[in-house]
Amino acid sequence: MTARAVNLLALAVMPFLLTGVINRVKSLWAGRRGPPVFQLAFDVLRLLRKSSVYSTSTTLVFRVAPWVWLVTALGSAAIVPLSGSSPLAWFDYDFVWFAYVWGLGRVMLMLAALDTGSSFEGMGAAREATFSTLLEPALFLVTGALCLLSGHHSLHQALVPPLQGGGTAVWLAAVVGLTIVLQVETSRLPVDDPATHLELTMVHEVMVLDHSGPDLAAIQLGSAIKLFVGASVIATLLNPLAGDGSWPSAAVHLALCIGVAVMIGTVESLIARLKLAAVPQYIVLALASGAIALLATAWRVGGAE
Amino acid sequence: MSTALLLSLPVLVLGAALSLLLRANRWSAAVAIFSQAAATALVLVSIAPLLQGGAPIEVTWDWPRPIDSLVFKVDALGAFFLSWSLPLTLLGTIYAVGYLRPYFEKGRSGGPHFALLNLVSASFVLIYSVQNALVFLLGWEIAAVSAWLLVIWDYKSQKIRFAGFNYLVSTHVGLFVLVAAFMLLHSNTDSMNFQRFGEFLSKPGPTRATIFGLLGVSFALKSAFFPFHTWLPRAHAAAPAHVSALMSGVIHKAGLFGFLRFTLLAGRPEEWMGWTVLMFGSVSALMGVLSTSTQRDLKRLLGYSSTENVGIAAIGFGLGYLGWTWGIPSLAACGFAGGLLHVLNHALFKCLLFYAAGAVYRATHTVDLERLGGLAKKLPRTAVLFLVGALAISALPPLNGFISEFVIYSGLLSGKAPSSGGNVVLISTAAALAFVGAVSALSMTRAFGLIFLGNAREPLAHVGEEAPAAMMAPMALHAVAIVALGLSPQWGLGLTRTALSLFPIGVNAATVLEPLAAVVWAGRLLAVGLVVALLAGWRRGVAARRSVTWGCGYTAPSPRMQYTGSSFSEQFGRIFEGLMPIVHREKLPEGPFPQKTGHLSTHHLDAVEQRMFEVLGQGEDFVTQAADRIPEQPRFAFAAGLLALVLIGVLVLGALT
Repeated sequence: MTARAVNLLALAVMPFLLTGVINRVKSLWAGRRGPPVFQLAFDVLRLLRKSSVYSTSTTLVFRVAPWVWLVTALGSAAIVPLSGSSPLAWFDYDFVWFAYVWGLGRVMLMLAALDTGSSFEGMGAAREATFSTLLEPALFLVTGALCLLSGHHSLHQALVPPLQGGGTAVWLAAVVGLTIVLQVETSRLPVDDPATHLELTMVHEVMVLDHSGPDLAAIQLGSAIKLFVGASVIATLLNPLAGDGSWPSAAVHLALCIGVAVMIGTVESLIARLKLAAVPQYIVLALASGAIALLATAWRVGGAE
Repeated sequence: MSTALLLSLPVLVLGAALSLLLRANRWSAAVAIFSQAAATALVLVSIAPLLQGGAPIEVTWDWPRPIDSLVFKVDALGAFFLSWSLPLTLLGTIYAVGYLRPYFEKGRSGGPHFALLNLVSASFVLIYSVQNALVFLLGWEIAAVSAWLLVIWDYKSQKIRFAGFNYLVSTHVGLFVLVAAFMLLHSNTDSMNFQRFGEFLSKPGPTRATIFGLLGVSFALKSAFFPFHTWLPRAHAAAPAHVSALMSGVIHKAGLFGFLRFTLLAGRPEEWMGWTVLMFGSVSALMGVLSTSTQRDLKRLLGYSSTENVGIAAIGFGLGYLGWTWGIPSLAACGFAGGLLHVLNHALFKCLLFYAAGAVYRATHTVDLERLGGLAKKLPRTAVLFLVGALAISALPPLNGFISEFVIYSGLLSGKAPSSGGNVVLISTAAALAFVGAVSALSMTRAFGLIFLGNAREPLAHVGEEAPAAMMAPMALHAVAIVALGLSPQWGLGLTRTALSLFPIGVNAATVLEPLAAVVWAGRLLAVGLVVALLAGWRRGVAARRSVTWGCGYTAPSPRMQYTGSSFSEQFGRIFEGLMPIVHREKLPEGPFPQKTGHLSTHHLDAVEQRMFEVLGQGEDFVTQAADRIPEQPRFAFAAGLLALVLIGVLVLGALT
């Protein structure tokens, strides 16, 4: 019960904190003081008080999509160990659910982008769709390999670091693969620049150009939750105490999440965005690490027999 | 019970004859619908006990040679296919009444069309119940020829006649292969009875492998597996919407039925067969879904997606084969149950999507993605129904497509294969399935977004009214079934339960349902969340402020500037250019002040069809050239002669030993 309460608490605080940490790190690298760490919470509250303006070309799809995005973000958060040990709910093969729930949110956001009739937003939707086709198999290769290695079939058990018995190669490849998955799914550099000013170069941001007021708040909240969920996945994989349900484990987990945010902020300050044509190649890197993880599993399991 | 089942045949044939004879279209439609409803009721009543685990229905009639005896036997497998094939055909016939009305108003007689729809229903009763190869072929041929005649409803267009002819040739190539397999079986058993076939097939040997190959090719042609799918996009684009729907969703499932029927007859398969089916299914799913991403004709797009979905079902069956050979009941259960459930699910959402495409065609007289747009405002009900189908076919929760793929995933990812190499291949297949799902989502987003969202790309084009109730009601029923099977998959799995128990390795649906229970509840919670989101969106739209789409500073946007279908799939298509050849014709304007306008057009070809025509066209040249070169190059002549000699020697030795 406490574990669930801690999860809920983390879910309520960490999305805001992580976004704030990323922005703070970027500001520090740029020599500025930067906004308050919980700026996103103020932004969301401000947006919720506003009213929305809808384009005359849009339909109900456009108005529903932001809320579906938020619901699916919460749906994926429910099965990820948000405080290092056990998630709110789990079942066998819940990572399939995880991938497809994210898919549903993505599809609805792409449809909302097409609903505006803007060519910029269509462009963003097309890019998002293309990248996701390469990303999903990478996610399945990595999680499949981790399942095979651990013998468990739910995400939080499979993510426990498999360092005993020579799973190091699998573990390394999984960390690399999942990091790329996180970067693409949360629209972070080097795949997508969330702070860009040119619509032609955007991916995720350009899809939400027309959303305003509470709808925009729902999208920002959903994105922040997805960021925390993705960071939690990687933190669990890195956490040597993962899965034991103790307080130190939760503390290490949250620290690692913040570490992931610092890493994202640092990457974003130091390197430029990839050319769009090169992004698929970068995602293929995730596919390759997934394949390496899977093959390493086979080799290890084969050796043990 | 058996009389009720067999009575459905004369009812259907009588209905067909009557609708052919009656002059008024209204009456022939009524007769067709009534006779199909009666036949459906008869069939459902007779198979209902079977689906709950009752004994198979069996009737035997003596018959002169070469048939010997006419055996009808409906087991749980046949009952599963019958349980949805006839009702869906009935719904298709009701849809046809609305869809064909503009033709009727111009004086076209619909009698033959309705008669053919009745015959299609009758062919299902034959194919799914008969145990005799000759009668099976008869049913097979009735279905094929009826489908052909249904496709060429608009026979005055040369393009449509070509598509029909293309289909007719392909389906008969499949028939020849099937006949070859049956002849081989007949020569070995001296019987036309499936039971005797099964006794022969259960003994391993080279003939068994040959027959497995022949039957596989024939059934693959019927169900339009890659690379035997070339007829399919043409036929689906040419046929009336309900015919495309019935062919894709219902009629061509006979290929998968045939495959499962002979799987059951042949007993425990060999391991290589399982791998073959798994690979074949994966390749079909991948190539089918890749082709959907670039189509601009909605019905062609949906046609390719059939190749994808039978591929997914075959992945399930391949997994089932492997589970059976390895003796792992849970793997076999996941594979066969997932595959069967996907067959049913595909029938539901594919028919819905084709019906919606028909409603679009009726309102706008085109299904070209590049010419449509913004239809959701003019055809709101069609838009909602299409969206339900599109989300289901992209396997998104909480709809039915997700459930069947989840069952297949749970087998592929279970890590239960006896060797680590096997596990690696199965997990890679799961990754391929994930790729298929993501590309399917891309294609369906593209199709729905371009047709129904945004603004009309041709603002002056006339958009007619929403489809009539005769078309809307079948679509709504399909959508309800899609949602119901997504939220309560035990209904769908209940239909497959008894079919699963036919596989003799202690398979039962309970092993599938157990891990499914949690995901079903997750799906229901998600559905609640989605309803809340829907209400939120709905309420926010009331009395909201309206303005134009933000043009990023540009103030004179036109609907032609919206993202197009080709631009949407451009980046994706370029990644997979090797598999999807593009014809690129361009003439760019010259100089700084061009006098002539330039033009650029791109379109995607079917890789297999292109190669096929290339080979047919250039094969002759190639053979002539090769023959010419041999005398010039004695080395080639010597090598060819040696090769032939070795081959003959091996064959002779093989025959002697």
